Amino acid sequence: MTAHEIAPLPDLPADLPGLVRIETSDRHATTPIIMDMLRSVYPHDQVFGKYCTVQEYIDCPPDEVFRYLSHTRSLEEWTYSLRGFTPAGEPGLWLAYDRLGDTTEIYTRTVAHPAAMTVDYHCAWDQGTHLWMVYLMRVVDARTVLDVDGSVVLWTNCRHPFYDENPYPETAPADRVPWVGDFWEMFAAGHQLEMSNLKAICEYRWANDLPVTPTWMSE
Amino acid sequence: MDTVSLIDIAGYLPENRVGADYFAQFAASDRLAENIMFRAPKFRHHIASDENAVDMAERAVAPLIERNGSELVSNVDILITHTQLPDVPVLGTGGELARRLGITPDWVVDLHNGGCASFVYMIKLARQIMQTGDASTALIVSVQNSAGQIFTQSDVRVLAQSAVPGDGAGACLLVKSQAGPVLGLECRTYPEFAGDMTAAVDPPRKYWEAGTGQLHIGFTETKIAKVFARGNRLVPEVALAVCKQIGITPDEIDTLVTNQPNRLFLRNWRDALELPAERHPDTFDECGNLFGAAIPVTLDLENQAGRIPNGSLVMMSAFAHAGDFAGAGAIRWGAAPVGV
Repeated sequence: MTAHEIAPLPDLPADLPGLVRIETSDRHATTPIIMDMLRSVYPHDQVFGKYCTVQEYIDCPPDEVFRYLSHTRSLEEWTYSLRGFTPAGEPGLWLAYDRLGDTTEIYTRTVAHPAAMTVDYHCAWDQGTHLWMVYLMRVVDARTVLDVDGSVVLWTNCRHPFYDENPYPETAPADRVPWVGDFWEMFAAGHQLEMSNLKAICEYRWANDLPVTPTWMSE
Repeated sequence: MDTVSLIDIAGYLPENRVGADYFAQFAASDRLAENIMFRAPKFRHHIASDENAVDMAERAVAPLIERNGSELVSNVDILITHTQLPDVPVLGTGGELARRLGITPDWVVDLHNGGCASFVYMIKLARQIMQTGDASTALIVSVQNSAGQIFTQSDVRVLAQSAVPGDGAGACLLVKSQAGPVLGLECRTYPEFAGDMTAAVDPPRKYWEAGTGQLHIGFTETKIAKVFARGNRLVPEVALAVCKQIGITPDEIDTLVTNQPNRLFLRNWRDALELPAERHPDTFDECGNLFGAAIPVTLDLENQAGRIPNGSLVMMSAFAHAGDFAGAGAIRWGAAPVGV
């Protein structure tokens, strides 16, 4: 085998379920599979049931958008309902209130990687020890992917089993009715609205020579 | 504005009923043969060798004369035809059809665009003429005659695409009345998608020039995916536009009839409109892709079988060629056979 040949995967059975490679499924065999997968419409649950991904183009440089997102307190501005961020004691951990859940506390720790421009918000309602609600975001230079100035922001959320059942009911306010997972079906639409907020904020500030990340956020 | 109604519809299928095995025997490989038997329609009808487009048109119109009397047809003000493969390149079917029927309509129109959605387009054209002038009756005829001619040539019938088309014709009568009102129509032209379908001959020549290669319809594989995605979008889009125009939701559609290029489109379109299969009849397995004749032929067969009672909301929707045209129309049905 030369270095240019495609690896034959000798350790795997050729008929391994789920494995579709041109060596064992040529174009004539694969094209009908693909045509069958191409639909006019896709059920909501198929698209947003297990994973919820939204994306948006923002006319603002990627390093600016990344820097803004990497501040946990930017969530105060561009999310629909997270308000009142204060340090929660532990370094990097923030406490805020999710107004979706009346007086619900939400804890957030932000993990940002500048080289990859990824910003992951690790959150949870009610308690700050097990941050299981994870919002994975990535900023991409739009010049690279769309050949225009600006940013593309990708945002994925995975349906952690805790969305279906609160694992720490004892930490919830006694009189609170909703659970964050009750809103899962609305996440795609809700996150798209929040993404629009992010776009509107960043584009306005950038277009008007205002700091995209307000000075108070860095203090 | 005067209401225009579809008062009767009829179809014609050539006698020669051809099974999928006809194409499988010519397939270039065993795998293609297997594919034809699995995916292609079980049957399709082919025009007879001594039959031409006008013959087919005349045969589609015959039941309309029989059921509605020769006087009505003799006095139509408008005759509009669409012929997939004109017998003579410079001539449509209208003139000779009028001669054979012994009619002299004020309007004889051979429509050449609109493809698989041409039946809707012809209804729209006729309605427009009727609502803005004195004309009060129209005869619409759609002829698809390429299957048994283009797609049976020795070098073309070996291609996978050749097993799909079928021949057939359909006709309807429109009159100014309230009997079966055409409620709404939406026709859209997409020039940006024109030209993506080509008539290919190898070695290249003009189709009318003498030469060795046999004419067929050319699509590259990448174009097929693009056309497929367009078709997936266009047919529900124009149907939904008509729903909006007439103030209904798609679930109020009793019978959806579309063009029928393949099974995947049929599934995807009813999925998009959230309609069960039983409300989306087709004739794909018996007739193959009937191009522009699919809508009238399927409507006729369903109607004669008593499955479209008067008062039903019938939605027609189709797209043409590689997506350069799409049309949809809704009718409050009034053409059910007597006793249904």
